[in-house]
Amino acid sequence: MSNSPRIAITGSGAVCGAGLTVEKIWAAVINGQSAVTPITQWDAARWPVKVAAGVNGVKNQELVEDRKLHKSISRTDIFGIYAGGEAIKSSGIPSHRETLDAAMVPHFNDRSGLVVGSGGGTYSSNYEYFPLMTESGGDMRKFGAELGSSVNPMWLLKNLPNNVLCHVGIRHMFKGTNACITNQCAGGVLAVAEAAESLRTDEADRIAAVGHDTPIEPETVFGYHKLGLLSRDVLRPFDRTRSGTIFGEGAAAVMLEKFDNAQARKATILGEFLGHGCVTEAMGVVDLRPDGDGPARAIALALLDAGITTADVGMIVAHGNGTPASDASEAKGILCAFGGNPPPVTAFKWCVGHLLAASGILDLVLAIEALRHGVVPGVPTLNEVAAEFSSLPVSRDPQRPRSDVALVLCRGFGGMNVALVVRAAKP
Amino acid sequence: MSQRVRVAITGIGMVTPIGNTTAETWAGLRAGKSGAGPITIFDASGFSTRIGAEVKGFDFENAIADRKLLKLASRSHRFALNAAEQAFADAGIRPTAADAERWGFVVGAGMMGVSYEELESVHRHAAADGEFNPDGLLSPDYPADPIAFCRTQTNTGLSLLTKNFGIRGYATAVHTACSSGGQALGTALKVMRRGNVDAMIAGGFDSMLNPIGLSGFCLLGALSTDNDTPERASRPFDGTRNGFVLGEGAAFLVLEKWESARARGAMIYAELAGDGNSLSCYRITDTPPDGDGPIQAICQSLADARLKPEDIDYVNAHGTSTMMNDRSECVALGAVMGDHLPNFAVSSTKSCMGHLIAAAGAAEAAVCALAIRDGIAPVNANFATPDPQCSNINLVTGQSRPMRIRAALSNSLGFGGSNSSLTFRHPDFVEA
Repeated sequence: MSNSPRIAITGSGAVCGAGLTVEKIWAAVINGQSAVTPITQWDAARWPVKVAAGVNGVKNQELVEDRKLHKSISRTDIFGIYAGGEAIKSSGIPSHRETLDAAMVPHFNDRSGLVVGSGGGTYSSNYEYFPLMTESGGDMRKFGAELGSSVNPMWLLKNLPNNVLCHVGIRHMFKGTNACITNQCAGGVLAVAEAAESLRTDEADRIAAVGHDTPIEPETVFGYHKLGLLSRDVLRPFDRTRSGTIFGEGAAAVMLEKFDNAQARKATILGEFLGHGCVTEAMGVVDLRPDGDGPARAIALALLDAGITTADVGMIVAHGNGTPASDASEAKGILCAFGGNPPPVTAFKWCVGHLLAASGILDLVLAIEALRHGVVPGVPTLNEVAAEFSSLPVSRDPQRPRSDVALVLCRGFGGMNVALVVRAAKP
Repeated sequence: MSQRVRVAITGIGMVTPIGNTTAETWAGLRAGKSGAGPITIFDASGFSTRIGAEVKGFDFENAIADRKLLKLASRSHRFALNAAEQAFADAGIRPTAADAERWGFVVGAGMMGVSYEELESVHRHAAADGEFNPDGLLSPDYPADPIAFCRTQTNTGLSLLTKNFGIRGYATAVHTACSSGGQALGTALKVMRRGNVDAMIAGGFDSMLNPIGLSGFCLLGALSTDNDTPERASRPFDGTRNGFVLGEGAAFLVLEKWESARARGAMIYAELAGDGNSLSCYRITDTPPDGDGPIQAICQSLADARLKPEDIDYVNAHGTSTMMNDRSECVALGAVMGDHLPNFAVSSTKSCMGHLIAAAGAAEAAVCALAIRDGIAPVNANFATPDPQCSNINLVTGQSRPMRIRAALSNSLGFGGSNSSLTFRHPDFVEA
C-alpha cells in the first residue's frame, strides 16, 4: 500500500504463564524455559490432561489495582486490561497527552482508538447459576422467582465479551474508533489488522490493539481433549512425535501510531507494522484443509499488502500449535508460499502455551523482540522435524533472521488463517 | 484522494419477531405490528419480566438444506443461516468456487454460546448439589460428544455461515453488545473499501431468550415489566417507557461494489455510505446524559458519507425504550443536527421488533435500506405520552409516514459504551 501512511509500533505489553512483562516472557523463550506446569485452576489429578501454562500465584490486584472493578469483570478481563494498559503506558502516550494544551485533549482522545480481540467468555461464567438450579430442582417458575436472591446482579456485565474494550477505554480515555473481535483464535491478530487499517484510513491517529483469553477451565480442556487436540505432556511443534497443543492464558497488546506522529513526539519506535492477510478455509468449526491453502493464501495477501516479497522476510513465527493436522498443513502452506525456501521458522507455544484469542498477538510482541535481538529462538522441545515437511527450517537451536522483517501466522477454528508482517526498528 | 469504493446493498434477509422473511418483517413494521408477547419458549412465569419478542413459527429443522451442518447450529445460528440464504436469494448473486476467495463475511454474533439444556447437562453430571465438581465431566455417563463443544465456540456461527455459503475471503465476527450488528456492517464497509474483497455478506444474529439470558437482563432491571400489555411494553421516547423488550433474530445484507451491481443489472436498495464509531468511556451500562460518544459516532458517519445534517431525511434510532438511553440519544441528535432537527423523521423500530441485541444494528440497517427503497419512514409504535426531554425530535407517531428519503442514519449504542452510526443513501441521490 504505497499511498497509505507508515505505522509505528510504539508500545507493547503482555502477561502469560511465562511472566508479567514482555522482558520476562522473552527471557523465558530465549532461555528455553517452558511455562507449562501442573494445572492449578482445579484438582486435575484424575484428568487425562494435567498441564497448562497458567498464570499462577499472581493476585488480580497486582495486575489491576482497582478492587472495586474486580467485582464487575472476570479473570480474562483482568489480563486484557493489564496488558492493554502496559502497551499504552510504555508508548509514552499518556505522558505526552499531559503536555498538551487542555483544549486539545478532547480531540486527542477522540482520535485515540482501541480494538480488542476477546476470547468471548468462559463456560464457568454460567456456573454461578448452579446453586439456583439445584434449589429450584427443575422448577423454572421457582428459578425465576428466586433469581434475585441467588445470582450476582452484575452477572451479565461481568461476562460481557467487550469488557476489556470498555474498561481500557475508560482508564485511558481512548474514545475513538473501536471494535471487539470475537473470532476465536484469530481475535488478537485481527485486532492488530483492524487497528492498523484505521490509521491507514485516517480514522484515528493512534490506536491500541489487545488480545486476551483464559481457556484453562474444565469444559474447554474437556472439549479440546475429546477433539484430540491436547498433548498430555509437552508441546512439540512440527515434531515427528507431536501429540497436541497445551493451553496457556493471558493477554498481549501493542500500541500503533502514525509513523510521522511517533517521530515528531520522539517516541521510542519498536517496529513498523507492514501488512496483514486474512482468509478462511470455510471448512466448518474445527476442520482444516490438509493442503495448507489457508496459510499460503494469508501469507501471499499479507506480503502483497506489505508491498514486499518472500525474499524480504527474515523470519517466520508459525502458529505451531503442536497438533498433528494443524502443524502439517501449516508447514505445507509456508513451504508453498515461500517456494520451498522459507526463512528460519520458529514458534512460541511450547513455552507460553496456546492463549487462543491472545496467542497471535503475543507471538507478534515476541516476534518484535526476536528481531530486535537479532535472533530466531530455537524450539527446545523439538527432537526431529516430521519427515513429510523436513525442509521446514525450524530448529532446536537459535537461528539468525535473514532480515529485519518477521511474518507471524495465526490459525483458528472456522478455518481462520491470518498473517501479519512487521519490521523491527534498530534498537 | 483516489476514487473510493462505493458499496451497494443488493440483498436483504431477515428472521425477526415480526416475520420470518424480509417481506413479512417489513410489512409488519410498516403496519406497526408488535412482535412481543408472553414468553413461550420456556416457563418464564416466575421471572420479573415474562414477556419477550420471540421469532414465531420458524422451521428450525429446515433452516438450511445441509443436515450435517444444522446439527452444529444453535437457535440463533439457524436464524442466521436462514436469513443469509434469504439475502443471497434476494440479491440474485452468491459465491461460486471461482470467486469464493473474493467474498467476505462479517457477523455481529451474540454472546450466548451454551444453551440452557447444555448447562442443565453439566449441572446434572457435575454440580447436582449446586457446587461445580470438574470430575463430574469425566463420569462415563456424561455425554462425551464434542458436537456440543463445537456448537458453543465464539465463532461457531461464522464457521457455519462461511462453510454453508462457501466464502473463503476475509471473515470475522465482532461483539460489542447492542451495537454488534452496526459495527459488523461498519467493518464490512471498511473491508470492501480497502479492497480485501469484491463482495460481502454482513449482519448479525442473537437469541438471549433463554433462562440465563433473561436472568441477566432481569437482574439489571433493564427490561420492561409490563407483563400484562406486552405489545405496548416497548415504547421508545414515550414519557412512560420503563425498559426494553428482549427480542431475537437475524438479519443479513449482501454488499457489492456499486459498479459491479449496476453492470449485472441488480436492484440496489441503497448505498451503505458511511460508518462512524466511538467509545463513550463513561460507564458500562449508561449512556452519557450529554450525548458525548454518540455525538462523535454520528458526526463521523455523516463525514464518512460526505453528507451534511440537512441531507438526512430519516433516522432509525437505537431507541431502546429505557429512560436514559432515549434521552441521551435525543441530546446527541440535537447536538449534531442543530436547526435541521425538525426536518427529518425519527423512529425506533424496537417499538415493534423488540431489542435483537447483537442482531439489532443489522436488522435496523436493513430497515433503513427498505425505508429508502419504498419511501416510507416506519412508525415508532406505542407513542402516547410525550417526554419533554425527548420532544426535540420529529417522531413518526400514529402510522408510518410516506416520504422521500434521500439519506438515512441508523444508530446503535451498546453496553460497554461502543457507539455505531451508519449512513445510507438513496440510489437516485448517489447518481444525481
